[in-house]
Amino acid sequence: MIMMSTRQWALTGLGVAILMVLPLLLHNFWLVNIMGRAMVYGVVALSLTFLAHYGGFISLAQTMVAGIAGYAVAMMAPTAIPLSTMAMPYALAIPLAVLAATLAGALVGLIAVNTREIYLLMITLALAVGFSLFAQSNITWFRGYEGIRNIVGPEVFGLPFRTPMVFYYSALIVAVLMYLLVLYVVRTPFGLVLQAIRDSNRRTAAIGFNVALHRIAAFALAGFIAGWGGVLITFYNIGITPSSIGLWATVAVLIMAVIGGLGHPLGAFIGALIYALMDTFASTIIGHDRFNTLIGLVFLSIVLLSPDGVWGIGERLKATLQGKGSKPAVEEAAGNETADRGS
Amino acid sequence: MAEPFDFSQAPEALVLTGVSRRFGALKAVSDVTLTIRQGERRAILGPNGAGKTTLFNTICGDYPPTAGQITFFGTDITRLRVHRRARLGIGRTYQSSLLFSGLSVLENLYLAVRAASAGRFSLRKAGPADPDVARARELAGRVRVSGFLDTRIDAISHGQRRQVEIGMALAGNPKLLMLDEPAAGLSAAERPELIALLAGLPRELTLVLIEHDMDVALSNADMVTVMKDGLVVVEAPPAQIADDPVVQSIYLGDPH
Repeated sequence: MIMMSTRQWALTGLGVAILMVLPLLLHNFWLVNIMGRAMVYGVVALSLTFLAHYGGFISLAQTMVAGIAGYAVAMMAPTAIPLSTMAMPYALAIPLAVLAATLAGALVGLIAVNTREIYLLMITLALAVGFSLFAQSNITWFRGYEGIRNIVGPEVFGLPFRTPMVFYYSALIVAVLMYLLVLYVVRTPFGLVLQAIRDSNRRTAAIGFNVALHRIAAFALAGFIAGWGGVLITFYNIGITPSSIGLWATVAVLIMAVIGGLGHPLGAFIGALIYALMDTFASTIIGHDRFNTLIGLVFLSIVLLSPDGVWGIGERLKATLQGKGSKPAVEEAAGNETADRGS
Repeated sequence: MAEPFDFSQAPEALVLTGVSRRFGALKAVSDVTLTIRQGERRAILGPNGAGKTTLFNTICGDYPPTAGQITFFGTDITRLRVHRRARLGIGRTYQSSLLFSGLSVLENLYLAVRAASAGRFSLRKAGPADPDVARARELAGRVRVSGFLDTRIDAISHGQRRQVEIGMALAGNPKLLMLDEPAAGLSAAERPELIALLAGLPRELTLVLIEHDMDVALSNADMVTVMKDGLVVVEAPPAQIADDPVVQSIYLGDPH
């Protein structure tokens, strides 16, 4: 019912236009290793933000779901080393990998269907860690610790996928489409029901919605989004290993989403960009083995000073400039569901 | 307030047989048996902790009974899930307003309409011509919140929220409407609005009302059930309730 305002559309259009001409201005390193990387990891963070902001589900399984798409595309890739018996063209392998992630997302949603808050966090974390350990120990399919190499991606218009322009624009197209998909879905009846579940799942059921079905569908959609990210991340890394879907990778995506701000889908990309910048330049500032200390400190200060992330800081600055003191989204969202026990 | 209405021949809307609900060692509702016929206005009275809201929760399914049976127009709903019961025609409000606080008034009502429609699960955005949006606007008029359609729930007053609650409970055209203390926390100015709203409900709608305020409860009811400690202690027409020695002991003995 509520549409994006004309101003929001204009801003989105302007942002996309700037990103479109960025290759004219940026060095290839910035184009691929900062912007491209931020966009592909941002897509996975976006799937987390979608679940967290609109459904109220903080899932730590999104990196795992992206990893399932990554492993699926790697197992089916025609260039894989070692090559599997089910190798097929990328044109087939990519959609199948995204489908696998969608189904995996639905399965995570099904397993966690009755859990909330800290229990949801724990169950999704357990699934993520369990899956990465399984991938590490399984040789037949997952090739164990070594993983699967040489996943270079398809050729686009005769150019290798690793060509900076090809990778950048592919990442941009996927990121913009996934971002618009989220903005669209949250205004549909399905998206409104998710927000209703976030605000009061009891009431949502009491008016006649099947809460479980909507939750599973939300996780499936988040799986679809994360799957696209997972495929592109695998091309970016030219392969996949268990460590790229392990505990640290899981935490990294959570950090991106939180630093950027869980209050808006754009926060995922802002967070992924900040993470990519810090990961790349931390070594020149304080030495690479201090990266975790640096990102930890940034994470801590964000959580303490602006729980709704960089996006929230921007929103508050805007409100201050406009002279209205608005409260951050996180505060508003907190603690809506009050207990309603026997009278 | 309730007009004379002979519901003794009307079909049985809601039948509870030996319904109990335990929370661990606590028996919040204990062996409740009652029959409410279609079109009846039933008030449930009782001190705090009597089990009134828990009784509601067993009926709507939030906390299904641990013993006993519930039938709704002849259908056994004892083990049915919450949304299934809602679709059969059970609408309710909650004691503490559990509305969708991040959404607008119109969106809250729209979802309630949508939940009762065939297009419950949809990825198509609602256009301005969507009949469900029109119905939501009409509901907003009925519960007198038309002036706040695009306002977020957390920005309207408590009284208006209670009106939205009733609008949402009515959205699915329920056969049974259960209101949990609809007058609680309302200002003197808001009370008449609510009473007018209740008086305007169609007569064939079955209404169960939990109310602390005896005057509000008695003026709206055909029949009164009094609960204490999870048990039904009195069931009588409103005229006999005020003089009932058990009711007097409950209300005078517990200055609440």
